[in-house]
Amino acid sequence: MTPIPASRSTARDLLRPEVLASLKNLDLVARSVVEGLMIGLHRSPTFGFSQEFAEYRMYNEGDDPRFIDWNVYARTDRTYIKRFLGDTNSHLMILLDASASMGFGGPPVTKLRYAQFLAASLAFLAARQHDAVGCMVFDEEVRDYREPSTRSGRLQGVLHCLDSATAATGTKFDRPFDKFREQVTRRGLVAVISDFYCDTEDLLEGVRPLAWQGQDVVLFQVLDPRELDPEFRQNVLLEDLETGEAIEVDPRFMKEDYPQRIRGHVDSLRTAAAGIGADHVLVQTGDSLDRALREYLMFRQRRK
Amino acid sequence: MGLLAPLFLAGLVAVALPLWLHRLETQSSNREPFSSAMLLETADRQVHVRKKLKYLLLLSARIALLVMVVLAFAQPFLSRPPAMISATDAGTRVVLVDTSASMGAAGVFEQAIAEAERAIDEAPADALLQIIGAGRSLGIVGSLTNDKAAARASVRTLAPGELRGDYGEIMSAVERVAAGLPPPVSLHFVSDFQASAMPARFPDVIPAGVAGLTPRVVGTGEPFNWSVDYLRVSADGIDVGVSGIGDRERVGDVELVVDGVVIHAQGLSHSGHQNLRFDAPEWAAGESRVEFRINADDDLGADNAWYHVVDNAPPEPVPLITGDPAGLPVTYLSAALDSTGRYRVETRVAGEFDPRILSRHRWAVIDDAGYVDRQLETALTEFTGNGGNLLVFAGERAAARESLPVSGHRPTAASLRPADRFLAIGRIDTRHPVLAGTDGWQGVAVVRNLPIAELPGDEVLIRLSNNEPFLIERRLGGGRMLLVTGALDNRWNDLPVRPVFVSFMVEAARYLSGVGAIERTHTAGASLPLALADGSSGQVVDPDGNTVLSLADTTREQQVRLEKTGFYEVHTTEGRTLIAANVDSRESDLAKITQQVLDDWQASTGVQGVATGAGFTAEVPQTVPLWQWALMVLALVVIGESILGNMSFTPRDTERA
Repeated sequence: MTPIPASRSTARDLLRPEVLASLKNLDLVARSVVEGLMIGLHRSPTFGFSQEFAEYRMYNEGDDPRFIDWNVYARTDRTYIKRFLGDTNSHLMILLDASASMGFGGPPVTKLRYAQFLAASLAFLAARQHDAVGCMVFDEEVRDYREPSTRSGRLQGVLHCLDSATAATGTKFDRPFDKFREQVTRRGLVAVISDFYCDTEDLLEGVRPLAWQGQDVVLFQVLDPRELDPEFRQNVLLEDLETGEAIEVDPRFMKEDYPQRIRGHVDSLRTAAAGIGADHVLVQTGDSLDRALREYLMFRQRRK
Repeated sequence: MGLLAPLFLAGLVAVALPLWLHRLETQSSNREPFSSAMLLETADRQVHVRKKLKYLLLLSARIALLVMVVLAFAQPFLSRPPAMISATDAGTRVVLVDTSASMGAAGVFEQAIAEAERAIDEAPADALLQIIGAGRSLGIVGSLTNDKAAARASVRTLAPGELRGDYGEIMSAVERVAAGLPPPVSLHFVSDFQASAMPARFPDVIPAGVAGLTPRVVGTGEPFNWSVDYLRVSADGIDVGVSGIGDRERVGDVELVVDGVVIHAQGLSHSGHQNLRFDAPEWAAGESRVEFRINADDDLGADNAWYHVVDNAPPEPVPLITGDPAGLPVTYLSAALDSTGRYRVETRVAGEFDPRILSRHRWAVIDDAGYVDRQLETALTEFTGNGGNLLVFAGERAAARESLPVSGHRPTAASLRPADRFLAIGRIDTRHPVLAGTDGWQGVAVVRNLPIAELPGDEVLIRLSNNEPFLIERRLGGGRMLLVTGALDNRWNDLPVRPVFVSFMVEAARYLSGVGAIERTHTAGASLPLALADGSSGQVVDPDGNTVLSLADTTREQQVRLEKTGFYEVHTTEGRTLIAANVDSRESDLAKITQQVLDDWQASTGVQGVATGAGFTAEVPQTVPLWQWALMVLALVVIGESILGNMSFTPRDTERA
């Protein structure tokens, strides 16, 4: 691999949300994030993420003929498939929540924008792994859907689908999960990116069938730091972005009780996810994106 | 309740501004978007409700503030049922304050105000009071009232003017006012009682219907006053007459100012009458403002300046169309018109005349209508149709024609009488402007004239003794023609060699050129006639630079009273004309009437024609102005709004940690 001629600190800067926010092109964001991540991974023998040769195996029906090593065929008259480290031919399906609550946050980025960065980076990373990538943008309904594929140009379609998502209405997980189950039958990785302001049991009702289907589910819970530790000096009228309901809250409640409530909610979600074999990753919009991507890679490593 | 200026109510649309601002504010005030209310808990203490109420209160205060401002401008008033005033035993006390120019002498008007207030205070409690200011005419100040404070307030609104007061005219007006007041009417006249304000006949100052006169004399000190008596401008120079009365030891300075530039200044060495002569400057073309000032610390300042206008406009060219440039008619006409200094005759030969020249002139003269050919007649018809005027004489060539050009009059026969049988002027219409200022027509001998058949629409201004027309005016389109049925040579008549010919030509020129005879120097208080030939009027700008006439009056007002001294500008269709207005010199004479005359005046008043007050009632409209209350409420609202605004204001960035 050709090392990127840049300082380490510069490459790391590319993972910071405030830097990424200045990039308008989601494709460019994804490339920047993955390149920055790869610089860090190159020094790590643990993940072995690269296009380094791993082994040959016999070509079987259904394999992509693009990976046949024609040199070996010329010498041996047999078809072999060239495999690389980290190449598992798995599917990645990204479910992006574009409900109104995801419009909260910033500057520099709202939760939705951060989730778009994350989803795009995952998609780009998976594409480099030759994984089939698909996505679904949903709120109360499924608003856009791209089925997983490794075909050329598919990544651009996925990125466009993610980029065009805007925060709109409320959230319902049952419909997107039902549609996902109808459309995708092959095993793969399902990344659900949302703030998960919903009842934990309701969410599990949707996720559990996926787990039963053999899908590996990662729940990326995206929250703004101000949601975890809000600070107000006086009474304030907080308006729910999804329902429009306004509640006057006490600053003492927001300082003392609310952080406990939100962390309790996160913990209950993590526990519930673990109960059905899913993974839960809490990311804050102030964090750099490599943490989430590392979680993805570690999860993928475990699957192998 | 009503409004004196209801149009100001349109300002209420400004109420939309605080409504809009508060709508924005309440939308954003203390309201934060949040991801989800799922985990939130309502606070026990609802602060924002109280804050909302506070905002509504602040909004109400701001709306009330705007409404009060609008109301104050709209001048609301409360109408009460008219009060019926019945005559009491005390009747009506009329406090008449002289506001003529002489009352502007140092300290005199202050004395007059104090004296008038004393007259009000000394009135019986049940007496009705009427305040009147008396200058050139009467000005009733305030309404009939029994409120002494209101009467005193009315007195304090009076101020001395720059016009002359005449006691005869003032008392005549007082008679008319007194007839409508609850009797008995007692008159308290506060004045400096100038001897020069007395009318020629003493009985004219005795007002009928007034029960008694109480003279209240002010300005009793030794008068010291300088005044300008006259200012004359001639080719030799500028002559100014000044007079000073009083202390001979005190002197002043004089200045002669032309168009704002002081060209002469000198001191005044002694009082009494003096004639001052100054060299005339090189007058600029057009009008010049000449002002003579006396800078002296005397009692009366109003008469220390004299204003005069010098008109140095170039003579107006007048085309004289003739067939013989060297003939006698040309000589006579040129001499008569040149003598005015306002006109310059330009002789044009009829056969070589370029008709396009006519468009540059307002009028033209033709010494013999017979020289007008077909082409020239067409041009003259168009000229008169567009408002041009003609002065046409009949001559030998005209007598030979079948009809006169332009007008179409047809000669009936060319009459030539024997020398011993000449005709005289029979009847003259002296009401016509052309003939009003002329005299001497009766001596004119007419040996020959051109008898013509009168046409419908002709106005015969002069008829001969045989009843044949000698001077006819005829309207032609927008213009007019003066037709003289005689020639301008001494074979037809002797008019050209009579003095009346010059005055006739001057008046005819003034009439046909459309320039009215506006006198340039007037006395303040005089009426300035604005009437022009076509009936249109103009605009007048007073010495302070304010327009005198409203827009509507500029087309119908035919005369304007000159209320101030100084230079007026009269703007008409003919251009701008400067008018000088000076204080009446009689106001400068501060000598008072004798005590004997004053006693006689007082004793003679109330002897005849005094009515009793039995059964007299009058309705006095009662209106209470409310704008002061609106202002008071406005002040309170401003204070309240400031307090509320201060309480409500919290910088947004301090609300958040």
